[in-house]
Amino acid sequence: MTTVVMRTTARVVVPIILVVSISLFVEGHNLPGGGFIGGVLTTTAFAVIYLAFGLDFLERGVLGRDVDPGKEPSRDRVVVAYRRLFEYGLAIAVLSGLAPLVFGQPFLTQTFVIFEHVPLYGEIELASALAFDFGVYCVVVGGLLTILSVVGAE
Amino acid sequence: MPPELSVVLAAVALPFVAAVSTPVLYRLLGERTGYAGVAVALASFLLLASQRGTEGTVGLEWIPSLDVALRFYLDGWGLLFAMLACGIGTLIFLYSPAYMHGEPHLARFYTALLAFMGSIVGVALAADLIAIFLFWELTSLCSFVLIGHYTADDSSQYASRMAMFITVGGGLFLLVGLLLLSVVAGDVVGPDAAFNLAAMLETPEAMAEGLRERGLFLPVLALLAIGAGTKSAQVPLHFWLPNAMAAPTPVSAFLHSATMVKVGVYFIGRMRPILVGEEWLFLFATLGLTTMTVCAVMAVAATDIKELLAYSTASHLGLMVAGFGFTSIYGAETGVFHLLNHALFKATLFLVAGIVAHEAGTRNIDNLGGLRHDLPVTAIITVVVALSMAGIPPFNGFYSKELLFEAAVEASHYHDIGVLGWLYPAVAVFGSVFTVLYSLRFLSLFFGDRPDALGHVHRPSTTLVVAPGVLALLAAAVSIRPQLAVDVIVQSGVDATALEHHEMHVSLPTSYSPPVGMSAVTIAVGLAAYPFYDRIHDGLNAALAAAPPIAANWWYDAIVGGLTSGGARVGDYIHNGLLRTYATWTLLGTCGLALAGFVAAGTVASSELIGFDAAPAVALVLLVAVVAGLAVALSDSHIAGILTLSILGFMVAIFYILASAPDLALTQLVVETLVLVIFLLVIEEIPEYYEVSLGKYARDAVVSLAVGATAFITVLVTTDARPEGSTDIARVYAEQAVPEGGGTNIVNVTLVDFRGFDTMGELVVVAMAAISILTLIVMRSGGDDE
Repeated sequence: MTTVVMRTTARVVVPIILVVSISLFVEGHNLPGGGFIGGVLTTTAFAVIYLAFGLDFLERGVLGRDVDPGKEPSRDRVVVAYRRLFEYGLAIAVLSGLAPLVFGQPFLTQTFVIFEHVPLYGEIELASALAFDFGVYCVVVGGLLTILSVVGAE
Repeated sequence: MPPELSVVLAAVALPFVAAVSTPVLYRLLGERTGYAGVAVALASFLLLASQRGTEGTVGLEWIPSLDVALRFYLDGWGLLFAMLACGIGTLIFLYSPAYMHGEPHLARFYTALLAFMGSIVGVALAADLIAIFLFWELTSLCSFVLIGHYTADDSSQYASRMAMFITVGGGLFLLVGLLLLSVVAGDVVGPDAAFNLAAMLETPEAMAEGLRERGLFLPVLALLAIGAGTKSAQVPLHFWLPNAMAAPTPVSAFLHSATMVKVGVYFIGRMRPILVGEEWLFLFATLGLTTMTVCAVMAVAATDIKELLAYSTASHLGLMVAGFGFTSIYGAETGVFHLLNHALFKATLFLVAGIVAHEAGTRNIDNLGGLRHDLPVTAIITVVVALSMAGIPPFNGFYSKELLFEAAVEASHYHDIGVLGWLYPAVAVFGSVFTVLYSLRFLSLFFGDRPDALGHVHRPSTTLVVAPGVLALLAAAVSIRPQLAVDVIVQSGVDATALEHHEMHVSLPTSYSPPVGMSAVTIAVGLAAYPFYDRIHDGLNAALAAAPPIAANWWYDAIVGGLTSGGARVGDYIHNGLLRTYATWTLLGTCGLALAGFVAAGTVASSELIGFDAAPAVALVLLVAVVAGLAVALSDSHIAGILTLSILGFMVAIFYILASAPDLALTQLVVETLVLVIFLLVIEEIPEYYEVSLGKYARDAVVSLAVGATAFITVLVTTDARPEGSTDIARVYAEQAVPEGGGTNIVNVTLVDFRGFDTMGELVVVAMAAISILTLIVMRSGGDDE
């Protein structure tokens, strides 16, 4: 499926998808979106790259690393990185849940603060749930990409 | 005076902390790690000892919304048991380095042993039903690791699996019993005390009354009895205990004397104030006396010194259970006092057995004899404790056995139990005769002639003799001044397990009474029968060989073997390696369960729902979806199938938009796209065309119809069950989203703020799916390089 049309489209679309996914993640607390959807959308961007350029493109073209041809898919450095991503994501989620215990609150209690008079934005709300949501995002991206690249390599 | 929370917590947590740090300690200390264990066990022991005389509940919050807490209740009974575990644990750790010298996996051994001790202390002190269950099962897990210490050895594997199977299986019965108990406690004592055992023990009569009113008294009693009976190796599930002798001797000494096997007895004692009554007497007195007799007879049939001791342990556990079974004050005194006495003499005997096996190189009774010349100190130790086990005056086992006889005789005075009134004492005497027999046989290892086959016997190292020596001295001290032991610890234990307070007095009898006569008969018959020991031993073994079903192992093997082969046969059918078969069974199973659920709940979808009442836009979208669905079934290539399938998916997304659920629509769109891409990646590998028989077509048609119909009915039923307007939950979420979570997107606020725990669970699922796909793909290529 690595046609010119596909590649050109991918070049244009992938950055847009990534930006949209990040905005979905950030404004999830107030508008439709959130860690899960943002994560899935990010994965979709990677899937489009895989479809257009092939599986080794990330290693070879973007990261500039050589790919061992005989190596098992699960041992790829990219897959190891994906695996780490969801492991860290899970750790972030759990730690953000444990943090309230330090302040004598039950597990997974969330709170938020609003900063007024911020230049350009005027008012910014920072919710502690964002940390948890970031864990969600990492797990979704890491987990789905692991699945995608391992299954895709077959 | 209430106990100190920090002290109690430290005593329970210290063994676990030490267990976790054992790998590091082992790297530093090597085989001397055992001495670190001595320090830990001794520290716990001293911490507990400092709480002697206190009584009350202390605890930490755990799950406050369910009133589950890490609650500890200290009284004489819990303290006696916990201190026994720590005290004997200290000596076991002292004994282990010399005994386990040069053995592999010592780090694991000490880790498990420390965790084992910690969980026993936990069971003894915990006053929360959930915490009790957790510690209870933890003891089973640790014992599994300990019994199976020699992982390469078949008999070790067999024994550890059996112990796990029986005790964890029993633990499940216990769990149900505890849950029923908590339901009643929630009503009777108050909703705050649903899991609070200490609160239940404060009002035992009200609890018993509440249980009887709800008809739960017998079920709870039976379930708890099964749990305790499996743990404490009561007939007919006694057989795991003798098999557990596959463990290294220090473990046997610990397991059989002071810890896990006594947890059941301990728990029976703990529940005694609540559940005691006529049913209690019938159940536990009968069970205990049967166990005591059967296992004493089996001990006489044993040929291995550890096997003899293991059966004897089961027999003495029966004695304690029977003691607690008798409702009189003597019953409680028997159970508590014998728990102490048995721990003292049985731990010593196992340690002696370890020395004999270690130094003489054999555990076969027939090959051993005359060891007093080689092991003089050990011989003296053995004389004290073997005579105590036999119940010969003035050794300590005699006093608690006297109390059992007293309780058995008294039973008919308290309850109208007919023929059992004389049967109980008779059985107690009959079983005790065998106790005398095998105790004398064990003692004879040190006396008589030395068999020629027995080679040179080494002197044991000092550390091996110190531990049994200390225990034998304690046993001797209790023998000489039994009243001292009673005053120090036993009396407070009796107060906790008995219904009424009673000053306990123990001393050598000076005048005739029924128990004295029973003891005299027991000892006289035992001594008279001893010259015929070999004939009795051979006769019993011949009977066991002639009829294998008499041996409980036979039943276990038959049942487990039957389950294994039956499971394999079912597995071959359901689990045959073809994805289609799995899908068929999973889908049909799910449909069956869902439909059965609707039928059982009597749910009927109202007929009003069936009708066409949709907006034109929605109708159009759904129509396209239906057409796409048909096209999937009719498509002649995989690519076409996948593309049409995603049309169906996108239509559902549009439907969500129309139904004003943008979050859901967004998710559906993105997921649908991703799934489409993954399918397209994978599809090239799948063969284009299958040769499918007509029968398979028919089967697939039936499955898909069933799944479709179930989904249809489910949607009908669930949409019908939706209440008019918004529910309380929905209103709370909508109102609280901004003030509580600070977000105007209710879906997201619900996901991360209100129901973060659910989301956490889903995250784990995603991570596990990724890991399992990795594993599957790696395993397929052998996975040996992992």
